[in-house]
Amino acid sequence: MIDAPTAHSVERVHDVCRRFGPDRENLIPALQEVQETEGFLSPDAVDVIADYFGLSANNVYGVATFYAQFRYHPPGRHCLKICQGTACHVQGSGVLLDAAERTLGIRSGETTEDGEFGLEELACLGSCALAPAVVLDGVVHARQTPKKLNALLEKARS
Amino acid sequence: MKEITLTIDGQPVSVDGGDSVLDAAKALGIEVPSICSHPDLPAYGACRMCVVEIEGVRGFPTACTTPAAAGMVVRTESETLRRLRENTLELMMSGHPNACLVCDYRAVCEKHKPAPSKAGTSTRCGLCGNRSECDLRELVLASPGRNLGLPTIYSHKKVERDDPFIERDHNLCILCGLCWRICDKIHGQPAISIVRRGKEARIAASFDRSWVDSGCTFCGACVDICPTGTISDRFAKWHGHPDNKILSTCMLCPEGCAFHEMTEDNRVVATRMTGFQPENRLCALGRFAYPQLLQDRHRLDRPLLRESGELVPVSQDEAMEGLAATLGDFRDGSFLLIGNDIELRETKQLYRRLARDVLDGRCLFMAAGAGSADLPEEVADAIENGTIRAVLSAGDYLSADLREHLDFLAVIDAFPSALSASADVVLPASILAETTGTFRDAAGDVKGVGPALPAPEQARPEWHWVRDLAQRLGADDWKRYRYAPDVTRTIGDDPAPAPLRTRPRDSVKESLPERFRGHFIADRVPALRAFGLPSTPAEETGADKRGFLIRKKEEIAPNFHSFVVEAREIARYARPGQFIMLMAGETSERVPFTLTDWDPEEGTILFIIEETGRSSRELCALRAGDRIAHVSGPLGAPLDLSGADTVALAGGCYGIGAIYPFAKALHRAGKRVFVILEASSHFLMYFEDELREFCEEIYFTTRDGSMGRKGAVHDVLVELLQSGDKRPDAMAAIGCTLMMQMAVEATRPWSDVPLHVALNPIMIDGTGMCGACRVSVGGETSFACVDGPFFNGHEVDWAELNSRRGAFVQVEVEAMPQNGTLAAHPCRD
Repeated sequence: MIDAPTAHSVERVHDVCRRFGPDRENLIPALQEVQETEGFLSPDAVDVIADYFGLSANNVYGVATFYAQFRYHPPGRHCLKICQGTACHVQGSGVLLDAAERTLGIRSGETTEDGEFGLEELACLGSCALAPAVVLDGVVHARQTPKKLNALLEKARS
Repeated sequence: MKEITLTIDGQPVSVDGGDSVLDAAKALGIEVPSICSHPDLPAYGACRMCVVEIEGVRGFPTACTTPAAAGMVVRTESETLRRLRENTLELMMSGHPNACLVCDYRAVCEKHKPAPSKAGTSTRCGLCGNRSECDLRELVLASPGRNLGLPTIYSHKKVERDDPFIERDHNLCILCGLCWRICDKIHGQPAISIVRRGKEARIAASFDRSWVDSGCTFCGACVDICPTGTISDRFAKWHGHPDNKILSTCMLCPEGCAFHEMTEDNRVVATRMTGFQPENRLCALGRFAYPQLLQDRHRLDRPLLRESGELVPVSQDEAMEGLAATLGDFRDGSFLLIGNDIELRETKQLYRRLARDVLDGRCLFMAAGAGSADLPEEVADAIENGTIRAVLSAGDYLSADLREHLDFLAVIDAFPSALSASADVVLPASILAETTGTFRDAAGDVKGVGPALPAPEQARPEWHWVRDLAQRLGADDWKRYRYAPDVTRTIGDDPAPAPLRTRPRDSVKESLPERFRGHFIADRVPALRAFGLPSTPAEETGADKRGFLIRKKEEIAPNFHSFVVEAREIARYARPGQFIMLMAGETSERVPFTLTDWDPEEGTILFIIEETGRSSRELCALRAGDRIAHVSGPLGAPLDLSGADTVALAGGCYGIGAIYPFAKALHRAGKRVFVILEASSHFLMYFEDELREFCEEIYFTTRDGSMGRKGAVHDVLVELLQSGDKRPDAMAAIGCTLMMQMAVEATRPWSDVPLHVALNPIMIDGTGMCGACRVSVGGETSFACVDGPFFNGHEVDWAELNSRRGAFVQVEVEAMPQNGTLAAHPCRD
């Protein structure tokens, strides 16, 4: 688990920023680097980054949200990724995502309140023959159904 | 910069190097359609409407982003470009509700209802406060084909009403980016941005913060530049296009910013920046609070004089006489005048001279934002020890305690206060835009104010009151001050007012003056509380547990709210066609709504409210678990259609719910029922499954053809009347007046088949007492509430009905709530 934003993490984000020049073209690399060290982009982190680059937090958030790679919630202990690629989509990955959102009580991109699970969508996993596929903590699980997925989550939780 | 020459549509044109092709076309007077370009902003290339053909250039570049080059040969018109632009427009409009733009009855509808309805959500132009100034609408109406064939994808986003002054309906947004770009230009660090991408993209602050927390200063530039109704000024939006603008100076703080007063019918409905440059920006007070202070519903508007203990309205002469007679007794240095520092120089000048020269007393000016607590200590002491015995106060500047010590108090002010209620004389003052003269700002510059707009009733500029008073006190030569310049020229080197610590234009937090003339500004403009401005705490009303419980409430289509309410007696006696009168709170307006369904066993009634004005907004803001103060009914005469074998029921908008009880009763009685529904667009249709259960056939008509046939209910009514086997022998139509009127006109050749229409005149009590709902039917006067609401449409005098319905349009606009969420309702905490 990543700590809630503290003075310490604000200082860390600042350190990351200082590795780049304060020119706007460095904004995305800095965002990536901050996500790398912090695990996600918190409102405080975005404020620090904005300040460093002479932008408003609204600018920075606008840039970051354009890309799918940034997240705004701390990652969970377990990370569930659901493939939404073409093959998986045809095989019902939308239903899987709905099921996961219902079971975990969160939306895609969020983390459960107890910090156990983070949920993400993937564009394509490259495992089209296994569609619909999910990745739980780095392990690919093939031909999922809502029932199988729930069992998987249950097992991970215990 | 070097001049270059290029050719556009066969005409040569010379422009500066660096100008765009769009600039060059403009220089030639060639109109290239565009929505995202703006003279005050760099090119952006978002809307793709300004595509052109350039010889030797592949594809169709956008004119706004393409720099003009020497020798360029540009075409702005061709069949291909026309098709491209139409497709672009069609795609853009597929995400923007557009039924009105393709409706066959647009002209007649807009003539019937000249102002748009004050809906909660703008689901078409007819319900959009921006209709009269919409660039998008203009673009579509100007497009030759106006071929909007793609179905409207309505995004069902909730209107954002939680911020003060500004509300946002993202369902109307086309992502032209003008708002955040102008914000960026004016403030450097924009308070908004386009966040997310694709169909999720929208204008927002970071992490979807409220705009109060996003760094927004509420300068209103985004409101003014938005080409659609997405970002709107809550106060001004229903006033339509201002008919005049006046360049003047804001007198709410020592900055004295220049602005345009936008007026309608000689009343300020909004103020705007004089240009889209950083130095033109306004603060939240100047941009949004200013018109609300002027239009305050509790302005002092006539002179009052205390007679045997009571303040009574008197004529101006009587008030002056009373004031002069008493003030004459205080020429011994015991008179004090408390004026406002942020004020016309002319008023300050005459105040100074009245106090010092005419009454041999003292004069003091209260700084911007000051209140009674800021009265200098020595002055308070002088009042307490009786050195000062008479005061003329131009605002709420004395505590009740100090007032006690005075022998005489006159108040000249715009708003009532406890102080004015305790005064011996009260004079109503014209303020701000209602005055003319000059203003010295904190930097020492003198600026022009006015020309003056009419003030309420008998309010007059302060220096007029003072001039007349001085004459009565013997200063005969003061009669030479006829006009403001007569006073202006007597002013020497008057001091500039003290500046504020921080400039209100830079931040809404901790920089706005808290008071105007000693009154909390947030008392007059409650939205300011969102910025932390103090106000007088509201009196505890105590949550009212009486009233009718709302069991269930749901917005079943944009603006259409279905209510299930406990009302046992109504549920027991209701019959099809009857209505109820509702009052949201104890002091709310009474409004009639047709019953949709009732359950005698559960003791509940169901009705549908279309959110389209002040009172319906108030009702729709209630939630399940809240209570409606009053529900009276069932009212009106039920309509019995059981004599007919085949019945056609037509419902449009709120009428869809209203025809339901007829369908249910008639179908159960074994009658043939045909149901015809009308809505502007598919996403506004509701109750179709419920109705389908109780009819032989259901027909859908939409104005944009997105569901069922393109047209109106009367198209189907006529078809049924012409058919052999489905010919109805009774018809009923419920909906807006125009829809019912059109149905009557279309079915006139079959006037042997009665067409019952539910008339909707303005109603007050609903029991036949007041007569407000008088209608003429078949040459006789009837009351819609007790003789109706149903009448044979072929006999109704529609012209009279329409004119009576429009009687209070202006008042209704003024009554629209200025707190977006109606937090003041007693049912809210």
